[in-house]
Parts: sequence; structure tokens; C-alpha cells
Amino acid sequence: MQAVRDGDLTRLGVLFERHHRPLFDFLYRMTGDRGAAEDLVQDVFVRMLRYRSTYRDDGRFETWMFRIARNARADHFRKQGAAVYVPEDGMDWASEAPGPAHLFERARDMARLKRALETLREDRRELIVLVRYQGMTHEQVGAILGIDSGTVKVRFHRAIKELRDAFARVAEGE
Amino acid sequence: MQCDDLGPRMLDYLAGTLPDDELTAIRAHLSQCEACRRELDATAELWGELGAVTAPRPESARMRARFDAALQGYIDGQQAPVARAATRATAWRLQPWMQLSGAAAVLVLGVALGRFAAQPPVTSPEIVELRQELRDTRQMVTLSLLTQQSASERLKGVNSSSQIEQPGSELVSALVDTLRRDPNVNVRLATVDALRRFGGREVVRRNVVEALPQQESPLVQIALIDFLLEAQGPEAATVLRRLAGDMMLDKAVRERAARGLQQVGL
Repeated sequence: MQAVRDGDLTRLGVLFERHHRPLFDFLYRMTGDRGAAEDLVQDVFVRMLRYRSTYRDDGRFETWMFRIARNARADHFRKQGAAVYVPEDGMDWASEAPGPAHLFERARDMARLKRALETLREDRRELIVLVRYQGMTHEQVGAILGIDSGTVKVRFHRAIKELRDAFARVAEGE
Repeated sequence: MQCDDLGPRMLDYLAGTLPDDELTAIRAHLSQCEACRRELDATAELWGELGAVTAPRPESARMRARFDAALQGYIDGQQAPVARAATRATAWRLQPWMQLSGAAAVLVLGVALGRFAAQPPVTSPEIVELRQELRDTRQMVTLSLLTQQSASERLKGVNSSSQIEQPGSELVSALVDTLRRDPNVNVRLATVDALRRFGGREVVRRNVVEALPQQESPLVQIALIDFLLEAQGPEAATVLRRLAGDMMLDKAVRERAARGLQQVGL
């Protein structure tokens, strides 16, 4: 990114190649909309280009990138008029095919877990997405969210607890 | 170690990333507290199941093409608003009244520009500004047309793109996208024509080369061959040689590629 900031704009292509997949994964899980996630990835890289002068060597590139991604997503929701998660066609599950009972149960549990995730508050879901699916440490998440790692741990524990409760509620409601 | 202390450390414990002293303290607590053991097991199970919730893979090639077009536009010095291309297009698609407003704006701007143009030729900043606005509005209308359900509307969009002087990277990107994805052969053929004036851009040529194997219509394949010949890019010979020898392709396509090879002197 230093090279991009210093004027070699074509190097942004290397960063796109390296980071567009995790970025898409994050934005898809936060929007539930494939098209919106693709548009937002594009938006994030254009913002990087425009605001490249704000990049500092002392921070991790991913931290900077995910901060931009969070802003882009927030702007997107603002324009849409509602900060809601609208699942498009659902995330993919381990199996939807009929089969032995345990496979059926597993597919059912996955569907419940998906619904439970959808019911979580956005900030809770974001924590789970960053840690579970982006593989970030509490420190990295803290740097992105602008809070200390101790607070991340506490909030994350709360998010997991709420997910477990939501999972139970979904199961009871069926 | 109390029960409340365990929660925030649970995942670090499961991940094995805790320092030794905390690990020892948690183990000691777990050996005496069945409730925490149950919670730990439940969390571990949930953590594992979350891993099965996968997201789709992105369409990397298409995304990269859009990105390259936007980047190229930026580098070319066309610092038009390259951001929000798709979101703007979506907004237009969702709100037909915006299209009507856009059309009305084009009309008003056109009349205003005509009045200015009828006056003695002076280089007025107003004229420059009006021209810019007219171009931007036309471009937005065109982008909107390209996203319509009706093939004839999309065709109009492709054709109107040719009337825009110095189009922004958004439009070039949208045309490339149309070439790769539009289900209608006529729209794709018109798009090849519309892209001809951008044949000098490496990123456009690369997209045309990548789009070739995706095309099932011999008509479009031949049009793309003509595009590459006209653009005279360095990749033309390699692509044509491959096409000429591809027995899966229509005979007319292979023959056109072979003739093209002769044209480029190979």
C-alpha cells in the first residue's frame, strides 16, 4: 500500500487480488446480499485509491482496509434507508440433500444457526464475523473497531451467548 | 478464578492461546464447576458449527474487470466519480422517476447548450460546465438503460453510449460487464461495436479476450475477432492462433480467425 500511496497506482491491483475475497466474505456476511457485497468491495478499493494519502505505515493494512469497509457498508445502509440485514438467498449449508438422519439433523441445525445469526444485532454479528470467519485476534478486531482488546473479549463473549440464546429460541419456535 | 472470569477467556482457552498461569487457573476452576464445563462444551460446539456456515465465492474475474476499468479510468486522469457505480445504477433501476428526470434534464441542458451555441463562439466557462453536466447526465441515463429488463432498452443504452464524448470509467466498465453477461446476442453484438473506440485500452482488450470463450454465438465470436484485429493489440496473434485451431468452434469462426492471422502477417 505504501507504493500505491507514493504514486504507483497499478500496485493496487496486487492488493485487490490478495484481499478482495476476504473482503467480499465479510461484506456478504454483513449484508446477506451478493450484489451489494460485490459493489461494496469495488467501493472499498476506490476509496483506498482516493484516500491513499491517509494510509500510515505504522498500522496493519488489513486494519485500514476493514475500517474503510465498515464505513462503506454504513454509507450503503444509510442510502438504502434502513440498517437491516436482508438475506438474499441464504448462505450455503453443509448439506441440503436428503440422507441419513444425522445429515438431516445437521442441515436443520445449520439452517437454525443461520437464522439465529440473522437475528443478532449488527455489532454482535460483526464481532462474530471478524473473529470466526476472518480469523482475527481480539487485538486486531479492537484496532478496527477502535476499542481495547479487553472490551472486545467481553463483547465477543456476550455476542456468543446471545447467539446461543437465539439458536435456542429458533429451535423452540419451530 | 470465578465463573464470570471464564467467559471472556473461553475462546482463547479453546484456541490454546492463553498464557500458562491463566490456563492453570481455568483448568482448576473447570474441575470444580460443572456449569462452566457445560458452557464451555456448548461454546465449543457452536464454534464448530459456525464453521459450516459458508459464504458464496465472489465472481473474481468480473469483479477484477470492473476494478481494472475503474483503476484505468483513474490513472487516465478521468477523475470522474468512479465510486458508487453499481449502487447508482441500482438506484436508477429501482426508481424509474429518476430516469424520467434524467431525460428531462438532458432536454433542458440540451436546449440551454443550444442557446449558448447559437451565440458567437466564445470560450465561456458556463458552456464548458453545461457540456460537462450534459455528458454526466447522458452517462447516467445510459448506465440506467444498460440495467433494464428489456433487451431493446439495453440496446438503446449501448447505442447511446457511443454519443458520449470522453465517457467515464463507469460507462466503460458497464459496457464490459454487458459484453460478458448480457443474455441477448444483439445487445452483446452492439456492445462489441460500442467498445471499439476503447480498443487502445489494454484492460478492455483483456476483457474481450476473456469474454471470447464464454460466448456461444458465432456471430459474437466473429465480432470479437474483428475487434481484436482492429485494436491491433499485442495479444491478437496468440488469441487468433488458438481460435483457428479450436475444433470445438464453429467453422466460420475458425476461418475468420485464420484469415485474421494472415491479416496480421502470421
